[in-house]
Amino acid sequence: MAKMLARALCGAVFGLEGVRVDVEANIAEGLPGFHIVGLGDRALQEARERVKIAINNSGFEFPGRKVTVNLAPAQLPKLGSGFDLAMAAAIVSAAMERSLPQDAAWLGELALDGRVRPVRGVLAITAHLERLGARRFFIPRANLPEARLATRLGVVPVSHLSELIDHWKDGAPLPEGGSAAQAEPGTQPEPVDLAEVCGQPHARRALEIAAAGGHHLLMMGPPGAGKTLLARALPGLLPPLTVEEALEVTTIASCLGMLPPGAGLMRTPPFRSPHHSISPAGLVGGGGSVPLAGEVTRAHRGILFLDEFAEFRRDALEALRQPLEEGRLAVARARGHAVLPGRFILVAAANPCACGFAGDPARVCECTPLARARYRDRISGPIRDRIDLQVRVLRQPAGELLGETGYGEPSRVVRERVQQARVHQQARRAHGPLNGSLTGPMLRRDAPLPAAARDLLENAAERLRLSGRAIHRVLRVARTIADLEGAASLELSHVAEALQYRESG
Amino acid sequence: MTVSRIDREDSGYPALLREIFDPPDHLYVDGRLPDGPMIAIVGSRRATPYGTRTARRLARELSARGVIVVSGLARGVDAAAHRGALEGPTPTVAVLATGLDEIYPPEHAGLAREIAVAGAVVTEAEPGTPPLPSRFPHRNRIISGMSLGVIVVEAAERSGALITARMAMEANRDVFCVPGSIENPVAFGPHQLIKDGAKLLQTVEDVLEEFPALVAPCPPTRVASRKRSGGSCGPVDPDLAAVWELLDWVEPRHHDELAAILNLDVKEVSRRLTLLELGNYIIGDCGAVTRRPQN
Repeated sequence: MAKMLARALCGAVFGLEGVRVDVEANIAEGLPGFHIVGLGDRALQEARERVKIAINNSGFEFPGRKVTVNLAPAQLPKLGSGFDLAMAAAIVSAAMERSLPQDAAWLGELALDGRVRPVRGVLAITAHLERLGARRFFIPRANLPEARLATRLGVVPVSHLSELIDHWKDGAPLPEGGSAAQAEPGTQPEPVDLAEVCGQPHARRALEIAAAGGHHLLMMGPPGAGKTLLARALPGLLPPLTVEEALEVTTIASCLGMLPPGAGLMRTPPFRSPHHSISPAGLVGGGGSVPLAGEVTRAHRGILFLDEFAEFRRDALEALRQPLEEGRLAVARARGHAVLPGRFILVAAANPCACGFAGDPARVCECTPLARARYRDRISGPIRDRIDLQVRVLRQPAGELLGETGYGEPSRVVRERVQQARVHQQARRAHGPLNGSLTGPMLRRDAPLPAAARDLLENAAERLRLSGRAIHRVLRVARTIADLEGAASLELSHVAEALQYRESG
Repeated sequence: MTVSRIDREDSGYPALLREIFDPPDHLYVDGRLPDGPMIAIVGSRRATPYGTRTARRLARELSARGVIVVSGLARGVDAAAHRGALEGPTPTVAVLATGLDEIYPPEHAGLAREIAVAGAVVTEAEPGTPPLPSRFPHRNRIISGMSLGVIVVEAAERSGALITARMAMEANRDVFCVPGSIENPVAFGPHQLIKDGAKLLQTVEDVLEEFPALVAPCPPTRVASRKRSGGSCGPVDPDLAAVWELLDWVEPRHHDELAAILNLDVKEVSRRLTLLELGNYIIGDCGAVTRRPQN
């Protein structure tokens, strides 16, 4: 009897990286049956039924003998349904006693009628398999734009398993890959235009600085002051992502299944606003036996907006420290560890106290001093330390809101200044961090202080009892203020303004 | 803790306290009850920043002039008064409504220890007495009973501080009141007392001139320095003065309001506020800016 073994190249996502998975199918004499081995999860065991019925519904009879499918490497935990197409290809080839091309890769989930459904992580897997020598990619048609981002080589978009079976049986032509149009996905909510924000010049200025230098921002103010509106305006102030950044963002979206079918490169920075009941693992990543990405990673290269900042779980906020500091997160789990990216602008909004009216000129705060101190302490010192900009936002009087004046510049105008400031930063550090991530030694080089500005800062440090970290915060913000003006070195006025965004004493 | 018990017959028992109509039979004392002229500072637990600031400053200045500040260790004005007194050279006395082992409010346990180092924490309650609402008026009679006079900083209608002031009046002691804004609910109490004949207090001199024999003379250097600083002089720079003129001593203002009134870019307002802050003219509390009282 002829050899009835076939192998199909496939891939999976681990953390946010593609990994190679080999799918082998063997058909042997014996009791009819279908077994999958190789550390699959529940979805993979269920693939037996899907694959079997899909093959039967695609003009081919599932072999009535003992079918064994092995997924290698066996020690890698395999999640999800992306192996269906590779399993079907291997089984059908083995039954037809022919082998599959060694440089072809197969990705896709099967529906019972044989249609091929989109899967997660096509971008990352395709890019990885191409590096390993794959030259043709059979992928779900809905994932075509994504695969086109990863490779210039042959991509075959498959909509139905019968397309492949007909090709193998009768030599029917395969579907055309073509050059996919890069559709812009419409997943992001339209950012609020700054022209819709009434008044708030101090907070608007802080937003502009945050966008220009990538600084984290904390807004304190009573309920209804407009903190959320301001935060939602920030995406509109950021320049579009560079191709490199867009690829990172799209890869993450693809791996997490957030990329809508048919979507191509994501050019707008992501905006994530998780609810304050989120768990630490949900916020920064973690997961069970395998590392899973959290909101921090979803917000990579964009904005993480945490409304009601003081209401978040303490352990969740503490878990933010590593990504705030390093722009990434190392997650170690039983079945391996992964480094997840997470460089974002944190925008936090909080009430000044539990009732929300502390410091409000029009309302009386009902909290005891102890309750106020406790509320304040929910945001720990180490977290505050990493937030460069802190502003108080006041409620706007109704007269202002209803009036025609008092509405400021539109986002487009501010974005142009932000872009200019980014150009100055890139001139100093071509691919380096933005001002918001500069460390002490970098600041010494990038933010030299003329004598007058230095005297002012020394005076302030003494009088206002600024810590070393606080001085660095002031310098980072002053650097961005100078960049917004196109000034090469820091002036006294830049430092003086920057000192107004420090936390309340 | 070095707790001692002083009976009414003992020589260490405060003489003035003996004169009220229902003096306590004995006092439990942690620390050493200092001997000297005493003035009470009492006020609201929910004091405004103006209230705590004033209480602290008055206490510090009284302490500098050798006056023992007496208060009730409560939140707000009381704690500010003790803290201000601790910044001066004279000891301070805290009178509790609870047992000495039941410091209330609990977050002031550290403050109580500091007070007992040079001064005393005093109560008539037996050890183990919890903070019962009914005991606080009894405590208040001791505060006013030990003191030559009572300063009321901020007090709402029907508050404990007002009770203390009424008791002081009944015991024929002087009552001094720090005025506040008529829009401020905790200024109601002192304003009511002023209407009833209490003395309006602007500086510690208003208190000290009532007791000329008892109080150490004012150190001359301090008077001179106070005169020089002038109390309410703003900055010389016209740009900074323009901002300073718009600020209030009590009601905070925000960067946005100042920018709108002055018709200036908010970053220029920020720059000026920093310079005013570093010149010690204002208190800028993250968007809540007030003038800084000169003292």
